[in-house]
Amino acid sequence: MKRTLFQKVLCFVLSVTILLGMTAITASAASLKGNDTSSEFETMQKYLKASAYSTYYAKYHPNGTNPYFKSGLGEVNIPVTSFTGEASLVKDSDKCNASYNADSTAWSTFGDFATLGAQTVYLPTSGSATWNFSISEAQASLYNIKIEYYTCQTSESSVSSIERKLYLDGGFPFTEASNLKLTKNWEYVNSETVAAPADAETGVTYEQTDKGYIKRVVYETATGKEMTLYTIAQDINGNSMTPDAEQYPEWRTYYAEDASGYTQGYFEFYFEQGNHTLTLEAEREPMIVKSITLVPIDSAEFRIKSYAEVQSEYAAHGYTAPANGKITQIEAEFPDFVSDSSVAATNDNSSCETFPSRANAQLFNVIGENSYNTVGQWAAYKFTVSETGLYKLGMRYKQTALEGMYICRTIKLSGGAYGLADGTPTVPFAEAYDAQFNYNKEWQSSYVGDSKGNEFTFYFEEGVEYVLYLECSLGSLKELIARAAASLASINADYLKILQYTGSDPDTYREYDFKGTMPEVLVDLLDQAIALAELADEFEALCGGKGSHIATLDSVSLLLDRMGKNNGMDVAANLATLKSNLGTLGTWINDSQKGGMIVDTIRVIPASADAKALPKAKAGFFKSAWFEIKSFISSVFTDYDEMGLTVVPDANENPVQVWLASGRDQSKIWRSMIDATGGYTDLTGNAVTLKLVTGGTLLPSILSGKGPDVYLGLSAADVINYAIRDAVVGVSGGEKKLGSDNAIFTSTVYTYKDENGRVYTTETPEAGKTASFVSHSFTDTVNGNYAKAAMDTVTLLDVSYGIPMTMNFSMMFYRTDILTQLNKTAPETWDELLELVPVLQANNMAFGVHYENQIKIMLYQMGSNMWKYTDNSEYAGAKVALDTDLSYEAFSYVCRLYTDYSFPVTYDAANRFRTGEIPILVQDYISVYNQLVVFATEIEGLWNMCSVPGFKSTNKATYGEYDEWNDTDGYYYNYDSCAAITATVMLYGCSDVLSAWQFMQWQTSATVQANYGNRMVALIGPSAKYETANINAIKNLSWSAAERAALEDQIAHLSSVVNYPGSYIIDRYTKFAFLNAKNDAANPVDALRQYIDAINAEIKRKREEFDLKTLEPDEEPDYLKK
Amino acid sequence: MSQQTNVQTDRPVQRSEMTKWQWTWKEIKRNKTAYFMVAPFLLLFIIFTVIPVLLSILLSFTDFNMLQMPHWKGFSNYSRLFLEDEIFLLACKNTLVFAAVTGPVSYLLSLLMAWFINELPPKIRAVVTLIFYAPSISGQVYLVWKTLFSSDSYGWVNATLINLGLQTDAILWFDNAKYVMTLCIVVALWTSLGTSFLAFIAGFQTIDRSMYEAASVDGIKNRWQELWYITLPTMRPQMMFGAVLAITNSFGFGAVVTALCGFPSVDYAAHTIMHHLDDYGGQRYEVGYSSSIAVVLFVIMFASNIIIKKALSKVGE
Repeated sequence: MKRTLFQKVLCFVLSVTILLGMTAITASAASLKGNDTSSEFETMQKYLKASAYSTYYAKYHPNGTNPYFKSGLGEVNIPVTSFTGEASLVKDSDKCNASYNADSTAWSTFGDFATLGAQTVYLPTSGSATWNFSISEAQASLYNIKIEYYTCQTSESSVSSIERKLYLDGGFPFTEASNLKLTKNWEYVNSETVAAPADAETGVTYEQTDKGYIKRVVYETATGKEMTLYTIAQDINGNSMTPDAEQYPEWRTYYAEDASGYTQGYFEFYFEQGNHTLTLEAEREPMIVKSITLVPIDSAEFRIKSYAEVQSEYAAHGYTAPANGKITQIEAEFPDFVSDSSVAATNDNSSCETFPSRANAQLFNVIGENSYNTVGQWAAYKFTVSETGLYKLGMRYKQTALEGMYICRTIKLSGGAYGLADGTPTVPFAEAYDAQFNYNKEWQSSYVGDSKGNEFTFYFEEGVEYVLYLECSLGSLKELIARAAASLASINADYLKILQYTGSDPDTYREYDFKGTMPEVLVDLLDQAIALAELADEFEALCGGKGSHIATLDSVSLLLDRMGKNNGMDVAANLATLKSNLGTLGTWINDSQKGGMIVDTIRVIPASADAKALPKAKAGFFKSAWFEIKSFISSVFTDYDEMGLTVVPDANENPVQVWLASGRDQSKIWRSMIDATGGYTDLTGNAVTLKLVTGGTLLPSILSGKGPDVYLGLSAADVINYAIRDAVVGVSGGEKKLGSDNAIFTSTVYTYKDENGRVYTTETPEAGKTASFVSHSFTDTVNGNYAKAAMDTVTLLDVSYGIPMTMNFSMMFYRTDILTQLNKTAPETWDELLELVPVLQANNMAFGVHYENQIKIMLYQMGSNMWKYTDNSEYAGAKVALDTDLSYEAFSYVCRLYTDYSFPVTYDAANRFRTGEIPILVQDYISVYNQLVVFATEIEGLWNMCSVPGFKSTNKATYGEYDEWNDTDGYYYNYDSCAAITATVMLYGCSDVLSAWQFMQWQTSATVQANYGNRMVALIGPSAKYETANINAIKNLSWSAAERAALEDQIAHLSSVVNYPGSYIIDRYTKFAFLNAKNDAANPVDALRQYIDAINAEIKRKREEFDLKTLEPDEEPDYLKK
Repeated sequence: MSQQTNVQTDRPVQRSEMTKWQWTWKEIKRNKTAYFMVAPFLLLFIIFTVIPVLLSILLSFTDFNMLQMPHWKGFSNYSRLFLEDEIFLLACKNTLVFAAVTGPVSYLLSLLMAWFINELPPKIRAVVTLIFYAPSISGQVYLVWKTLFSSDSYGWVNATLINLGLQTDAILWFDNAKYVMTLCIVVALWTSLGTSFLAFIAGFQTIDRSMYEAASVDGIKNRWQELWYITLPTMRPQMMFGAVLAITNSFGFGAVVTALCGFPSVDYAAHTIMHHLDDYGGQRYEVGYSSSIAVVLFVIMFASNIIIKKALSKVGE
């Protein structure tokens, strides 16, 4: 069908009018919510304006020349103390003062606080600071930016690395500057220094003892021999336990470099003549800055020699291998420093040659695979050599991460002639960026070297302490992976263009004329097909064969080729396949960047040695077989409940029995936190047995009388279900409402330790003594720690039956890049969101929201409630309030989203968000966030999380706790999201009520919750964020400043559906009603109305079962009859 | 040795001289080896099957809620079940429709398939048998239907319909009362070619070839007569086994429906007695009431077993 000129003109005029109209509406809506999306809109615009570093670099190095560079210039010092923005001198910062005074040892390396504090600047976890400086004509050149910083530990710190955005003159010089990562230094707290026995030989030995696995370092001091013991403690069955990692504050030097690892070496920035500004915007973690310096790129620290040069220098100096040099053995599981607390020792029992290994226990004998694989992560080892000379590094490792490929580590050294004066390590030569480790399913032993077959030799001097850094890098793969990533970005853009034109399900029989409408897309598809095919060939050449890993590139390339050819006739038919291939390619890039391997041993070996000096890679057949048999037999007898148990609780002591139904990692973390110094047992003197059970075990266990005292993570609905059947103790005390007894916790109980370390409790505080644990009354315990919505869900008839442990709620996730391209900001109200719908749908995009949650959110945002008579404790929950006008309106509103606006009911959230088909999602925050962080790394930094859109109305909402009245536009706004809770509960029949109560208090306290959340992230990685219900714990979890602000904003706007007997029936029937409205296009009000009686009847029946007040269908409660 | 002789010389005690219990006891003593050998199974069977069934019957007269002591309620559970609970009646209807369609159809399908496959050469037969049997050995393979009929617009059927232009919006297959029952019956039939099918194949193998020869001499005219007069009567035990399986499967198909349609299915469209039982036992903590549902289900299954037995005895007559 051909359109006439008139139609075309008319369409154009109409669309312009609509667009203009909408911009006007969007602009007029006042910004009311806490999270200001317009600033982030600007940031994204800046980001989209900036080019990649490769383009930036090419601009200043046209055709490989260097016309912008002037040699022989000095450094340009930017005076740090004259700043504008959110920063303060260390001396003036409350945060620093507090922790400086509280724990002066942590600041020992900081220097003199009084003088240095006035010269250094504290940059908090949020906000940005700007420095002004000018460059003279003579100084205009290429520089790197050097920052001397202190990795301070303040009350705002968490387990993340320091992350900053760098702006020069108000914009990003290139996109990579939007994420600078400055590592911290972590140390395992497991060492003690003692006097060495007289006969001890100096050096390092490793030993497996009853106390645990010990590294013994004996060294000479002026007064005699001393010995440091590094211990990996073990539980009663000999399983190793992760030692605590502690951030080790120190001064470090950072040279601006690429955090993604795509660019080798350091960034080069061009500064022209004139005044400039440099801005550091906080993403994560506080830091202290001593100096910011522009360093000319020809400075000594950037002059990295080649390996050949270094070798000829060695030859010129006459360095040779030491004649009597001994091998220095380093067990990799004992790192001296690590970049992240997740870089930790772990167990691998796949070979009995790994030291130490025991068939019936999990001993830590290697260093991580899954948590030590991200670019920039490192582990560092101190060592000395016995004789000056040339050495090689031998390693025993297993690399199974990338099939058919190799992974790279950057070798950095400090100490002696290596590294910078302040101890920052450097690469000894350029090839050390690419130390290569091949794929093999078996353990391997080899000398560290590069792809050219060089076995690196290093010059070490006797008596000097060196530190060896093994840093994850992309090495020689970086250029290839960067190209694959660039291809993916390009194909993604093509996909979105096609999608906007055809929709996600194009008609294969229609001729779209791609050649006429988007020739550039077809050309790009073919270009990318060639680019990927070339990449695959290069990988093949590099790795010497086609592993399954490389085949992915080929298959995507073939598809692109098919789509690009034939004038785009096959584009429509292959679009769905392209979508899934985009996901595959994204995952491929993700995997390729994660070069994990496990390392058992590192040996510093005199350079003259041959392969015999390497650690033995594989065990003999019979030795292996015997080990496997032993492992199998012992697996039958292992009691996994005892994992991490250091002391067997004495049954006479009446330990608190705690159950939890989650993963083994979670259980191990709780176990170690309970047993740790300052943990529950230490504070209160009560032993704890912790059992990991499968969900659903609790009910039968209560039935048989073998239930626990405390259960962690019972869903709010079950808390109430159990409570009305006398299985859970009401911990808030008060009048007995239902069958079960309430424990009364109204007084404060103080726990003291006497001089023998024995623990006793008293209700009156003792003067002059500090209580090791203070057990507060229920009210004081929960006061200020939980959202009202959270407490409501575990409360029935004014009695609370548990303390909230986790809290999940919907938040809005949106793609900043896509919205910015569409010139839109994130919607703040549903009205704004609906205005955005035509724009998105015109581009074949959609919104993702789950109707079950949405019904509840809408109900409370509009000011209705799920229940009637909530103001009267006797009748509360006797009837649902779904048959009020407001409720019908809310329900109809939600139904319309899916019928009139065609929101998808079922969709794969993560995948569609990643491809951009659903650029806005309203869903449970923790699962979406955790999935996006690991699954969709290619859109890192391109999405955001904020509170859900609010409802704007002319009437004041009657239910919402946090309604806002805005004077400027005269409307009421309600931003409530709906909270879902799991709680810690005390089970009926608990023998020692006080101990159990103390445990609940300890377990849900802000410090313990934050500690647990941080340990989860430390152990499992950034995708293990923990959704604590304790509001005060969120501050100390590893959220970025913006994420935390968004969370706190939403927590301030929470409602919840309170559970009453029979509440299970509501979800069921509202779901039926919704599906009827959606499937049969029934009137939503009628659809809902037909179930109201059934819901109320079931509730009445349930209430009768528990002798609660009931109401007939048209009966009003007594108290309203007057 | 001497005692043995004594027993032999004694006049054996006659059946008429003993009470029934004495006689039973004597017989037990005589066959003690057999009882000894059957004891382990019998013990487990009693503990894990007979006692729970009896307990369940007992509990169906109480208001047991899993957590508190039960109270005696008489027949109130049953009266509520039959007189007040509309959803139970709906569940009964669904179950009967389900059983009436899937039971016989899957049984006949199994039988016919087994018969056809039996005619194939042995090597091909082995392969085809595996193909037909595969869906039921690979556990939760019915979940492919979930992918096939996914409510996502990218689901196979939805995407195809949208591509063909027959549909503009995704159909919520397993969330739409119109399609739920039909889809579940189709899935049930697909997975039903299971153990009974194998039993039939085994049954066909055991038939003595010489019987067919004898029959042809006796004047069998065609394959149908062969099937009806020889094949089927010979494999009556396998057929009984298959029938019992078909009945129990069709009544207890709940798990698959839950996996496909969620719990409960939209508007109770595929709500069977099994679901109703789960609903009260698991979600509403009314084990007493759910026991009474179980008892009813038990009676229905027991009755249909008897009917099947009667029907099968007519085969070949």
